[in-house]
Amino acid sequence: MCGLCGLLGIVHWTETNAHPDAFTGAGRRTIRAERAHRAALVNAALAPVRMKVADFQATSYIVRAPTGRQEIVDDLASVWGAVDRLRGQAVDPLDEAWIAEMERSA
Amino acid sequence: MIPVNVVTGFLGSGKTTLLREILRDPAFSDSAVIVNEFGEVGLDHMLLEEVEEGVLLLESGCICCTVRSDLQDTIRDLHDKAARGAIPPFKRVIVETTGVADPAPIVSTIAAEPVIRQHFRIGNVVCTVDGMNGLATLAAHPEPEKQIAVADRILVTKADIAEPAALAALEARVQALNPVTPLARSTGQGFDADFLFGADLGDAARRDDEVNRWLALAEHGHDDHHHHHHDHAHGHGHTSGTTTFVLRFPERIDWTAFGVWLTALLHAHGEKILRVKGILNVLESDTPVVIHGVQHVVHPPLHLARWPDDDRSSRIVFIARGVEADLIRRSLSAYLIATSKSARPDPVA
Repeated sequence: MCGLCGLLGIVHWTETNAHPDAFTGAGRRTIRAERAHRAALVNAALAPVRMKVADFQATSYIVRAPTGRQEIVDDLASVWGAVDRLRGQAVDPLDEAWIAEMERSA
Repeated sequence: MIPVNVVTGFLGSGKTTLLREILRDPAFSDSAVIVNEFGEVGLDHMLLEEVEEGVLLLESGCICCTVRSDLQDTIRDLHDKAARGAIPPFKRVIVETTGVADPAPIVSTIAAEPVIRQHFRIGNVVCTVDGMNGLATLAAHPEPEKQIAVADRILVTKADIAEPAALAALEARVQALNPVTPLARSTGQGFDADFLFGADLGDAARRDDEVNRWLALAEHGHDDHHHHHHDHAHGHGHTSGTTTFVLRFPERIDWTAFGVWLTALLHAHGEKILRVKGILNVLESDTPVVIHGVQHVVHPPLHLARWPDDDRSSRIVFIARGVEADLIRRSLSAYLIATSKSARPDPVA
């Protein structure tokens, strides 16, 4: 990947550090801490389908399928696209089984 | 950031009349208007000169051009020309869509294109609805329903010639489709351009008013939800799929978790989530955070200096088609509770 992508890259709406005006609290994390936290949260959502995501160098995310296939993507929205491709099916937060799994771990 | 307004509305619903009035309005003299065809707007008597190939300067100071190969090129081209002084600078862009167009991709074009998004932000989407034929059009075509659902302002036109009863029925129908958007009537002239185009969420000075406006409408619409649904089931089966509902969370929300959930939802069901708007009480901010999105596109979160009322709960309004409100509520709630355990007490690393 050419380094310029990182410079010109599109900032995703979920990143608090890119929108310091909107997030004024002391509860804000540093960039890396937020990404680690986000990866953990995505993993909670992916647990029912046995997939995993990890932050890569605070620039990308690596999505891993249980078979070992993996994909590297730029932002959170792309994570779901990668999950979709690797699994052949999207993770659906409105799926009864998914909701039941979340309710169980709650 | 230059706001980009979108004017949508079905064929013959009065988009051009609205544009023509705006083009004459001195308050909007520094706008650039992008139309499909010059002929439609009838600019002849307003035309001052052609300043660049395909870009017209009007008496009011507005510039007007047609869509070239695509909207992205057109907006980039206008920006380039203004930057090098070939055309007068402009402070607003107004895009007229074709009558059968879905406005959501236009919104996503402006929000997603890397060059455009550095200089432009999406402003109000204004939807015109024909006061005379609106009900028939809604029954016969799928496009107007979508146009109404994603609009930030709805203008019911031809109010002077439409039957009062028909007008009231149409407005009830429009409000059922989109209860969170303010609705105005027009008689073909004297538009409140500031209300339609000027007051939007993206403008920090107007944001409080705008949030108050849709929160008030959302609460009202929420109460009426069952009533509307009842109406649909018996009257207009065609609309029964589009529903508006408000999710309310009294606890402070983990913004990152909310972002994870919403991106997953939009990936799986983006085309069904016509609109999402919300005021959130998040752990990462001491002040309210405002979100708004159209289908797959969520705009950058906005800051609100203070809460509009004493209510500190997060309120998220969805306008959705073909998804159950209860499923969305359960899904978000289960996910937020399940993940709240992983939140660290000292989040500042």
